[in-house]
This record gives sequence, structure tokens and C-alpha cells, in this order.
Amino acid sequence: MNASVVSADALARPPQLRLYALESWYELLRVLRTPAFALPTLAFPLLFYVMFAVVLPGQWGSYQKATYLFATYCAFGVMGPALFGFGVGLAMEREQGLLELKRVSPMPIAAYFVAKIAMSLAFALAVIVVLTFAAAGFGGVRIAPGSWALLTLALLLGTLPFCAFGLWIGTLVKGQAAVALVNLVYLPMSFLSGLWIPLFALPAMLQKGAVVWPAWHLGQLALGIVGQLPDVNYGLHLLALALMSVLFLTLAALRLRRT
Amino acid sequence: MKALHLVVVLSLAALVAVLLQLMPEPASLRAPPKATVTEPAPASTPTRFVIDGARVFDGEKLWPQASVQVRDGRIEAIAVTLDPPADYARIDARGQSLLPGLIDAHVHTWGNARRDALRFGVTTMLDMFSDHRQLADARRARESFDAADQADLWSAGTLATAPGGHGTQFGMDIPTLSTPDDAATWVSARKAEGSDWIKLVREDLHTFTGNASLPTLDDATAAAVISAAHTQGLRAVVHASGQEHARASLRDGADGLVHGFEDALADEAFLTLAQERKAFVVATLTVVAGMAGEAAAVHEDPRIAPWLTAEQHQTLAARFGFGKPNPPLIATARENLRRLHASGVTILAGSDAPNPGTAHGAALHEELAQLVRAGLTPAEALVAATSAPARAFGLADRGRIATGLRADLILVDGDPTRDITATRAITTIWKNGRAVARDRAAPPRVADQSWRAGRLGDFDAGQLEGGVGAGWSPTTDKIASGQSEVRLEVSGKGANGSAGALRISGEVKPGATWPWAGALYSPGSAPMQAVDASALKELVFQARGDGREYRVLVFSGPIGGVPAMQTFAATPEWREVRMPFAGFPGLDATNLRGFALSAGLPQGAFALEIDAVEVR
Repeated sequence: MNASVVSADALARPPQLRLYALESWYELLRVLRTPAFALPTLAFPLLFYVMFAVVLPGQWGSYQKATYLFATYCAFGVMGPALFGFGVGLAMEREQGLLELKRVSPMPIAAYFVAKIAMSLAFALAVIVVLTFAAAGFGGVRIAPGSWALLTLALLLGTLPFCAFGLWIGTLVKGQAAVALVNLVYLPMSFLSGLWIPLFALPAMLQKGAVVWPAWHLGQLALGIVGQLPDVNYGLHLLALALMSVLFLTLAALRLRRT
Repeated sequence: MKALHLVVVLSLAALVAVLLQLMPEPASLRAPPKATVTEPAPASTPTRFVIDGARVFDGEKLWPQASVQVRDGRIEAIAVTLDPPADYARIDARGQSLLPGLIDAHVHTWGNARRDALRFGVTTMLDMFSDHRQLADARRARESFDAADQADLWSAGTLATAPGGHGTQFGMDIPTLSTPDDAATWVSARKAEGSDWIKLVREDLHTFTGNASLPTLDDATAAAVISAAHTQGLRAVVHASGQEHARASLRDGADGLVHGFEDALADEAFLTLAQERKAFVVATLTVVAGMAGEAAAVHEDPRIAPWLTAEQHQTLAARFGFGKPNPPLIATARENLRRLHASGVTILAGSDAPNPGTAHGAALHEELAQLVRAGLTPAEALVAATSAPARAFGLADRGRIATGLRADLILVDGDPTRDITATRAITTIWKNGRAVARDRAAPPRVADQSWRAGRLGDFDAGQLEGGVGAGWSPTTDKIASGQSEVRLEVSGKGANGSAGALRISGEVKPGATWPWAGALYSPGSAPMQAVDASALKELVFQARGDGREYRVLVFSGPIGGVPAMQTFAATPEWREVRMPFAGFPGLDATNLRGFALSAGLPQGAFALEIDAVEVR
């Protein structure tokens, strides 16, 4: 009896790694075939960057527009796929019942999340590469290879809190409502975190208030790495982002258990 | 579920704590206010420019390569690369190092001090006692963004000392304190005169002479002055050369010490106290090295020498009149500095110019080297002369290279974060955002009248005159509020059976800080008028006396300069004394003003006879 159970179990168990890879690939295919997702996430940061930094070059005080905005639009760019992929993706798949289906399939549920994270990272990398070409090719920005690698690493890691944030949003609403909600969070937060234009243009209250936005912390890290901000407290910004990730993940877990 | 709720609460709480730490200071890019007077600058000194490609030490850290943009006296931007408007001049500074203008945290500014300092890249001076009547002007100058040819000045004005104490020996009549009840009125009088902080003296000379011979403020009065200063919104800093005075001062709340102490090694309790009180210490190692008998060579450095005036040459070469070299003094000072630095106490660079062994501006470069020798890294030494003193004394507009700050900058060849002496290789100085003309000092003028070999006085003929000049005259400390007495007479029996000798006798009495009594020979036609003695090599004379040690002082160079000194012992039998001019540190033979033979401490009667005095 025991032996047959074990062998049946072994038979029923497909190769785990392949499951993760396949789910990630299908997730990537899904978003690539959704132009409403793929185009804006790749094009918006580039469009903004070209408009504000390449067409209107110059400097604000000690800040070099081209370098400053490269860092902030990279941060802006990597947030998009994470927020939309998780927020809208989860909300839609909950509404369509796809999540239920995947839950009862033999696929480990973790693969579902890993796939979405992998998709976010792939898109984030694409955004960084596209912006790097624009900045180096047309903005005259020069960054040491080591700094660029560090920036990429920080930004890729920095997508995780936004994955968690998106996840939580995806648990709050269903379907198209998530698109509105994510946009409502994504765009104002980017602006209030100084990712579009530097914060000194805003009233002091809003400058101080920026501390609550995860996007501000990611922006500070990026600006520090490209040498536009002195004395960035990397440790504390990372800690803030980590704590935010834990908070959103836990809130999402609470919601998912309830439903 | 419970556990998840707990995670939410805990992560929220931790997040709030972290976010409070990271709350940004609101910034803005408002244009800096225009200078009050808009005087068109000459074309040669642009007021809008970018210094490109220099290694930049911004007062706190090193930028391997950066550009600094300056506009109308202020730093407008610092960044790795800058792209300024077309009307900005561009200065290619690749391979050079840009630093904030240096701050000397211990000086006494008399005469041309502020001009001399600026010529060596010292753009701000923190004065620990000088004439308070210059303070209103100094205040106006340091707030202005107009072109300037001298360093800015903050000052203690008059210092707090006991009647007859250190600070009263300079011939100025200064108000002193005797009891704690004097403190409040004394401090408000200083505040009214424009003192930026209060400096107290706790000095009884035991560190230097072995016994407490000088009156100084007692514990209660010193504590009352510190507390009165704080009540009236002023910092209080203390001159203490002994550990117990320093300890008491910090316990009483002093903000910092303007010298290290050298009578003992700093103990654990002191280090902890200094750390807890966040006190700063101005090391002034250069002046202590001079007292200990170490010869500073900064005036021989080809990167310094061409810009020194004759006065600066002289004070740099001069030595304190404490007599014998005392190497343990500087060894203790260095070890104390090392300990203080290792305990995290803020160290500031201060030269104590223009004391013997120093000169305004130049000596700060020596002090930086001294700090490195005592264990600071070159970068830490630079902090001690830039951002640290600005922070310690609350100078908000300077000390760093950062947007909005005053554009006081120096550009040097080489990398001072590796070799601290590179600060001496100055190529450009900017004060208030304008390049300063850094003229080499005019070659010193040689006195018109030259002095040939010959006798000083014809004692055999019973005369104190003879040879050239005004001859022998009495000199005592009565001109420095002392009481000592001297009598000059031609006595009957000279050396080698000659007919006469000069007898110098009298009594050294308490009163002056450095009592003296003796005879002065003036080779010029009036006392202290200079003659050119560069053809001469030595002073030779016969002497006999009571066994005391006597000093030969040579006055040369500018009037009021520090005399150079050698000593000799007067034996009961006649004996020839030869003093080569080369043995007088800092002697300027082209402008020799006089010789003095005098008795100093210890107090008491003395008698000396000299004969056959001649220069060869």
C-alpha cells in the first residue's frame, strides 16, 4: 500500500524546475500579447526621458538633468511592470477564475508568483537597457560600468516591494478596477517621489512627505549610485523598502486568506 | 491570522521608525541673493565660472573628479560633470585638487594678519584674542560678497584672564576678572564689543617652567564665565596647557579647548569627558613644537618661501624664550592628540600665529603636516581645517564646497589627501568667488647704513658710545608692566688688564610675565634704527659675572619683530664669548636693529661685566 502511494506520488509529480520555467514563459507571453501592458510600460519612461532630458538638456543647480532623470526614470520604469503585472494580473485572473484553476492544478502555487516576478524583472531589465541607450546615446550621460551594474542590481531588487504592493492591490479589487487603482497609485506616487521632476520644485510639505513613498526610497538609491546625490543612506533606504515589502506581502496574505 | 496581524503591526512600527530617520530636509534652488554692491568686476577676474575636472575635496569627502560652478560669490553647483551657460568662464583644473578655503581655528590678528593669511589660502580666521576695535569692520567684511583682499575674521575679542595673568603681558590694558561675581558684567561687555565667543585663559605656566608662577582664573570664576557666556548665547573656549585645567573647563561646560595640554598624558576619564561633552580641541602642535625646540622648516619650503614677508620669515624662524629644548613637551602633545582623535573627539587645525615659530597663513600648512604626523590621515587633517571648524563655531556659509555656500576655494597642485604638504602648492585662491592676486612678497629692503667690523662702545675711555650708532642704554621690563631695575656704569678694571669695562647690575623683580633687565646696544643713529650688518659674521665679547645665565637678544628685520636669542653663563673669571650670527634663528642681518644683554628669571639681584665687545 505504502509503496504504491509513493510511486503514484512520484508519477504524479512533474519536474518542478520545468513547471516554474514554463509558467514564467507563459506569463511573459501573456503580457507581450497584451499591448495595453507591454507598450506603455516600455515606452512611457523612454518618452518622458527623451522629452525632459534629451530635448531640454541642462542642469538644475548641482543636478545634471540627463543623469538625474536617467536614474529617476529607470526607477519609474521598473515600478510599472511590477505594479501592473501583479496588481492588474492578479485582479483579472481572480475575476476570470484563472487563479482558482491554477490553484487546483498540480502546479505549485509558488510558481504563479515566481512567474510574475520573473516577468517584472525581465521588463525592468528591458526598460533599463532602453533608457541606458537613450541616455548614453542622446543625453551624453557617462556612467562607469561598475556603477551601471550596481544601479541595475538595485533597481531589479527594488522591483520586489512594488511586486508586493501590486499583489496587495490585486487582492483588494477585481478586474478592470485594478487598472484604475494601479494608475491612481503609480502616477501620483512617481510624481510625489521626485521621479518626474526633482522634489525641490514642490512645496516643503510634499518634499518631507515623500518619505512615505516606496518610489522615493528607490529613487534615492538610484540617484546616489549615479552620483547625483551625496550622502545617501543606502542601508536605511534598503531597510525601508524591505519593511514595505514585508508589510504589503502580509496585507496581501491576509486578504488572500479571507477570500 | 494572528501572526500575520502581528507582522503588519511590527513592520508598520519599524517602517515609521526608519522613515522618521530618512525624512528629507526640504531643498530649493532659489537663486542666491545678489551681492549688496554690484561693482563691475574687471574682465580678468570672472565672477561666473566653472572649475573643471579637478580632484575635489569638498570639506568632508573626496570626489575623484568633479566640476564646481561659481556665480557671484557663491558655489552654484558641484557635480561630476557640469554644463553651464555659455557666459561662464571655464577653468581647466585637471590634475589639480580643489579644496574649500582653509580655516585657521587659532590666531591672533594684528596688523596685516588677514592679508598674510589669505596669501596662503587661509580664507577664514578664528581669533582667540586681539584688539576688539576691529570687530565691527570684520563683521561687515565677512557678510559681504564683494571682492576682498584679506581673510574673514571671527574673534573672541578680549580674553578672560586674572589680574597679571596670561594675556596681560602685551602692553594692552585689558579688563580682568577676580571673582565669579565679575563674570556676567564682563561677558556682556565683550558681547557689546562684538566678541563672537568668549575665550578663557587657565594658564599658570607649570607646564613650561615646572612651577605655577602665573596668576590665573580660579575654578569658580572660570565656571562663572563659561556659564555667563552660555546664558548670553556665546560659546566659551578655553586655553589650558594642563590636564586638570582642561578637565575642569569641560566639566563646567566649555565648548572646546583652543590648545592641547602637555603636562600629562590624557587619561581615560578625560577622553570620556571630552567625548560626552562633544567638545572640540584645537591642537596647535606647531607652536608647541616650537616651544619644545623643534625647528619648523616651513619657511624654507620653496612652495611657501616666495610669499613670505620679512616679518613672517622672522616669526617662523623665531623661538620661544623658555631656554633649553624640551622634546617631551611636543611628544606629549602628539600622543594626547592621537588619543583624543582615537576617542572620536573633534580636532581642529589652529596655528596660534603669530607666535614664535609660526606666521599667519603659512603656519596652518605646517599645522596640517603636524596633525598628519600625530596620526590623522591627510583627509582628516583637511576636515580639521575646513568643515570641522565651520561646524564647531557655527559658520553656516563656509567650510565645504556645496551648493549655496560662499565660494572661498583654493586650487593646489598634487593630491593633499595623499600628501598633506600639497596644500602648499597653491595655484589659485578664490575669495568670495573671485580669484585673488597672489603677489610674491617684495624683496626685503636692505638698510641704508652699513655696519663694519668694530668695537661697541669705548669703555677704556669711560664712554658707552663708540663705533657706530647710539650706543649702550638700559632696558628693562618696565615697558611691559614689570618692576625690574638695571644700572649701567663703566667700571675700573677691564678684561686683559684694560682700563674699563661695562658693568650691568640690578635686580629682576616680579611683575612682567617674562621679566628682564639689561643693556641694549643700538647701532643706528636712533634706538632701533636698522643697519645693514650682512658683511659681519659674529658678535664677540669678554664677560665675567655672578654665574647666572644671561641672554643675548638680537633685534632685526621689521620693528616689533620677535628677537632671536642665544644664552651664555657669566663665570667669575673673564672669558671670551663668541656668538656667530648664524646661531641666532631668524636673524635678518640686512636690517639689524640692536643687541640686548639681559638677565631674566629667576628673580633676584644680578651683576655682569662685559668688555671688548665687537662685531666681526
